[in-house]
Amino acid sequence: MSELGKRAAETESEPESVRSAAASPNGADSWTTDTAAARVAVGLPTRDRSELSGHLMVLEGTDGSGRSTQIALLTEWLESQGFAVQTMGLRRSFLIAKDIDSLLAKNSVTRYTLALMYATDFFDQLENRILPALRSGMIVLADRYYYTLIVRAAVRGLDHDYLHRIYDLALPPDLTFFLNVRPQISFEREFQKSPAISFWEAGRDLHLSDDLYDSFISYQTMIRKEFVALAKHHGFTTLNGENPIRTVNADLRKRIASYLGIKNIRYKPSHALVHLWQ
Amino acid sequence: MSTPGVTVEAAAKTEEKRAKPPARPYSGALVVVEGIDGSGKSTQLHLLKRWLEVGGYKTYFTEWNSSPLVKSATRRGKKRHLLTPVTFSLIHAADFADRYERQILPLLRSGHLVLADRYIYTAFARDGARGCPVEWLRNLYQYAVIPDVTFYFRAPLEVAIRRILSGRPRLKYYEAGMDLGLSLDPIESFTKFQGLTLARYNQMVQTDNFVLMDGTLPVHQLQQKMRDVVGGHIELKRFKNGT
Repeated sequence: MSELGKRAAETESEPESVRSAAASPNGADSWTTDTAAARVAVGLPTRDRSELSGHLMVLEGTDGSGRSTQIALLTEWLESQGFAVQTMGLRRSFLIAKDIDSLLAKNSVTRYTLALMYATDFFDQLENRILPALRSGMIVLADRYYYTLIVRAAVRGLDHDYLHRIYDLALPPDLTFFLNVRPQISFEREFQKSPAISFWEAGRDLHLSDDLYDSFISYQTMIRKEFVALAKHHGFTTLNGENPIRTVNADLRKRIASYLGIKNIRYKPSHALVHLWQ
Repeated sequence: MSTPGVTVEAAAKTEEKRAKPPARPYSGALVVVEGIDGSGKSTQLHLLKRWLEVGGYKTYFTEWNSSPLVKSATRRGKKRHLLTPVTFSLIHAADFADRYERQILPLLRSGHLVLADRYIYTAFARDGARGCPVEWLRNLYQYAVIPDVTFYFRAPLEVAIRRILSGRPRLKYYEAGMDLGLSLDPIESFTKFQGLTLARYNQMVQTDNFVLMDGTLPVHQLQQKMRDVVGGHIELKRFKNGT
């Protein structure tokens, strides 16, 4: 290392013109740097949220915890109350969602690559959909947020600190709900949705067990444990996702209503959604 | 049937071990060239590769271009100008991770002398110039091994620009840094963007132990120095084929 340093020092003095070009004596440099910084600030949330008149609400939880059902119901309720709602979920970016789909289908992807592709998908949606919606005063309901991405990558052995620092640039939600269900319940609900358990739901890439049920339970247990830790650390509101849908929904409405100052929390789903009402 | 709890704990333990590898978990060596476009780095790495191959060393060359996995997304993003500084950075980080996990690290583990045309410092310089926070960028690539030697080819901005523009007149949108709004003229934008990138590189000479190479010196002279440095830092006989 010291040898390297010496060599570096030897050549250090040579290209004077390089240095002047870099330092840009006419002040053009500071202008361009400011522009670059401004550009990032346009896309990215700063800690100053005053320009965001909307509200970001996140539902987190394992597979089969009822997030999507609750989001559908909450959307209808909030819209009936006169709030404009935008939803988001993972793997929905125009930029990269399809590519993640095909990677998952091939199962040839490595863990850092997958984590970073999900991060790309997340920030593409954040900068191009969520922030504009929040600026225009909408309620954004997120079916999963970057917490899921941290949890999934963490059980695959990526460092927590590494993952959290990637999402340092993301916008923290106004409200985060964690729908907590046991893996056995997740399994039953997922099986009702589709007739077979998928490779990824069972965390098959982790080689936890050759038995698909065991693999599913082990994987979902690991995921849930990570979620519980995150929920504690970040102060999520944990709800018992095993309760009937209408009970969970009433709880969510109560808390969201109190946050937004909505007085009337009574709600009955329309004909279109009544099948969700159990 | 094993109880889930046991499986989980065992799995968590292996994962923990895997997450924190020893400082140098490989027998190979990594030589990197860095510098802005037109600094002469690729030519020099090519000559180094020739020397090592003819000498009978186990050598592998890798460069920073899109891996097939991430290619279509990168192309879509670039073609339609969809990328922000953050997503530009992340999509390239995913691309790098794919190449790192499937190519660079396995090659290092199997005892190759890996020659890389651009490495993580390219992201620090280029994405930093785009305005991404330096600490955030450093974290993104924190898992990547530190090279045995990093050559930094430094040429005056005017020289580098002249070299690029004489060979390839059409500049691409992101390549020219047009997304930063530095100028509506691609050449002017490119020049400014390269200047910002160059400034970032210059800041890393000390912090990242770059071996500084004056890109204006004759090719042959630079190559001689490169070979001397490589020979001085890496025990080349370890990489002889058939030993």
